[in-house]
Amino acid sequence: MNSKSTKNDPKLFAGVDVGAATAKAVIIGDNGILGYAVRSTGHDVKIAADAVMQEALEKSGLDVDVSDLAYIVSTGYARRTLQFAHKPITEIICHAKGANFLFPDCHFIIDMGGQDSKAIEVDDEGNVVNFVMNDKCAAGTGRFLEVMAHVLDVEDIADMGPLALSSRHPCSISSTCTVFAETEVVVLRGAGKDRADLIAGVHRAVSSRVAVMAKALTIRPEAVFTGGVAKNAAVKKFLEEAIGMELHVPEEPQIVGALGAALLAREEATRLPAVETIESELPHR
Amino acid sequence: MAYYDELFKLCGFEEKEIEEERPRIEKTLARLGIVPDDMPSAQSWVKQNHDLSLVGVRKLLGAWLKELIDLVLAKDEGKKVVYFGFPAILGPGLMLSASSDDVLVSAPDMVLDHTMGQIFNKLTPILEAGEANGLPPGHALCSLWQAKIGGIIKGMVPMPDLALASSYFCDMGSKADDLVTALYGVPVAYIDGVMDSRWGEYPRYLPQRVSYLGAQINQALKKSEEVLGIEVAPDAWEKSQIDSRGYINNLLKLLDLMRADPVPISVVELELLEALSGSSTGRGIREGIKAMNILISELEERVKAGKGVTEKGAPRVMMASGHTSDPRVTSLVEDAGLAVPLTMVLAQVGGPKHPPKKTYSTPGETIADHELASGPVHGTDAMIKMFQSGAKVMKLDGFIANYLFNCRPASLTSHTQKEYLERTTGLPVLALETDNFDSRTYSAESLRTKVETFAYMLKKRKEASRN
Repeated sequence: MNSKSTKNDPKLFAGVDVGAATAKAVIIGDNGILGYAVRSTGHDVKIAADAVMQEALEKSGLDVDVSDLAYIVSTGYARRTLQFAHKPITEIICHAKGANFLFPDCHFIIDMGGQDSKAIEVDDEGNVVNFVMNDKCAAGTGRFLEVMAHVLDVEDIADMGPLALSSRHPCSISSTCTVFAETEVVVLRGAGKDRADLIAGVHRAVSSRVAVMAKALTIRPEAVFTGGVAKNAAVKKFLEEAIGMELHVPEEPQIVGALGAALLAREEATRLPAVETIESELPHR
Repeated sequence: MAYYDELFKLCGFEEKEIEEERPRIEKTLARLGIVPDDMPSAQSWVKQNHDLSLVGVRKLLGAWLKELIDLVLAKDEGKKVVYFGFPAILGPGLMLSASSDDVLVSAPDMVLDHTMGQIFNKLTPILEAGEANGLPPGHALCSLWQAKIGGIIKGMVPMPDLALASSYFCDMGSKADDLVTALYGVPVAYIDGVMDSRWGEYPRYLPQRVSYLGAQINQALKKSEEVLGIEVAPDAWEKSQIDSRGYINNLLKLLDLMRADPVPISVVELELLEALSGSSTGRGIREGIKAMNILISELEERVKAGKGVTEKGAPRVMMASGHTSDPRVTSLVEDAGLAVPLTMVLAQVGGPKHPPKKTYSTPGETIADHELASGPVHGTDAMIKMFQSGAKVMKLDGFIANYLFNCRPASLTSHTQKEYLERTTGLPVLALETDNFDSRTYSAESLRTKVETFAYMLKKRKEASRN
């Protein structure tokens, strides 16, 4: 939907998700997604947020700028620092809402981002009813895979999944600590283990770590896999084996949090009665 | 006017008190390495973290400072010093304290956390000194022990004449006290506790548990008499209970006030007064009771006026324990829009219990009878029953079962609590890994996403139940 919009359109909403590795933005109207963008967070979260919002607006084909949007929800690590957002909401809530929108029968979500991972139980409306999140440890996150890609000389992180899937005998790698696992991989590499088998072992380790966390909750179908790591087919495969359930991956899994934020922006805007009320509730505006 | 007067006034000291105590204050600050340059940040830290509009809160901070002064100067003033670990079976310490004016019995780790942490914001160097002297991080002992050893090493608090080690809730304390013996030759009086009752036993307790624990306490008291060269006074228990009764009565009043919506006081301030009772057997707790008297009057006024620290109608949660040195971690829960009317101590006070039998003749059995009647010493089942009871009384919407990753009893039980409480009460439970004594490991920011998500969940549930 790329029709020209007027300024101050009360029907345009946005979600922006500034995470550890990437910034994402989604623009929605009454009939769904109008545009989205993904870019690296870089060193300055505010610059990243401004840029990704601008890019999402351009891709939506709307002749509007950020100030014309009716309501914006921010999420991710930087959610409380974005001046243009009306309300910060945690990424756990946003992922639940976004996944429920894309998969209306979704009751369980695994989200693996650059620096954290979460398992989320949701009700029929996409409201969070229980969740777990990793504690001060990168072993179940995208960072684990990045570190291993560097050790195993895989230039493009996107190649990791296909290489892992080509393995016939995955190595056994520790899943308890990124740094210790790195040492283990270095030792195994020195012992002449096959590169693909090592990469597969790394994938199984990270999946196992997240599956243990997820099993603390009740895993009910449909289960959805979101976040940047969900693009990795090998992690999906090992996770499915570990939790014993098919995982549905959205077409663009990285934007699910931003999409949920945009949907929550629409909900927030419609439940607030007057502009005066909105302004009085906006610590970030 | 000295450089520290303003801070001490913020902490409830009257001008006259400062004047009377000035030489002791100055000696204490010098020993702690507190200098004029520390004052701006300390004042700002106290203002940032505490509700200083309440005189009772200021006086509570003052009570901690008075305990600190007495502790730091104890040896200079000719006193014998006894340390106990937190949380402890308090009875033996209370009896020793009540038996002689020349004995100071205290929990130096908690005193340092609440003063060097909550008031001066200079705890980290003390913890680092503990880490460099036998208690490296990540070795299953919480940072309270690092604070104790660090404080001794840095000469801030005196070397004790005796350590009272009891396996009460924390069963790692005796291991840390072994270190004090090994390094410095400090004698330890061990009290082998009877921590875990059978599931379902609470609030009843078996007489053989009283006998065993009582014998252990008697043995520890005997050792204390030998080491300290004092005799436990025949009326020591009765004397010690005068203060305890005042404190418990105030907690009961507070429990009633916390039923109000909005809740009239922050859980940060509750932590200040609750921790004091488990840390001081001397001036700190006596001053703390006076502060509570003032605070309760102030809170009654707030409740009458419908004033509180969170919005009316905010979801109400129980928080198992607060942060001893960095209140920002505890404040985070209220910042996220949750009211905290109940803590573990209040749940214990208001929870189901059988009164002590009061039929025992030895001091040890009397203390054991009292402790076993009061609750937490029973273990997970007792705690869960207290929480369940508290949920009804306080009309809770959820629980935050926060725990220290390096505290064996707390980390193990938090997940049992989550499973069981969710099943039996139908209320959500957030099992939150944190570090209640050391925010170097877990800062408020690192916990924010989990707490805000939980708060959002509870608000949605509450909205849905209203509709």
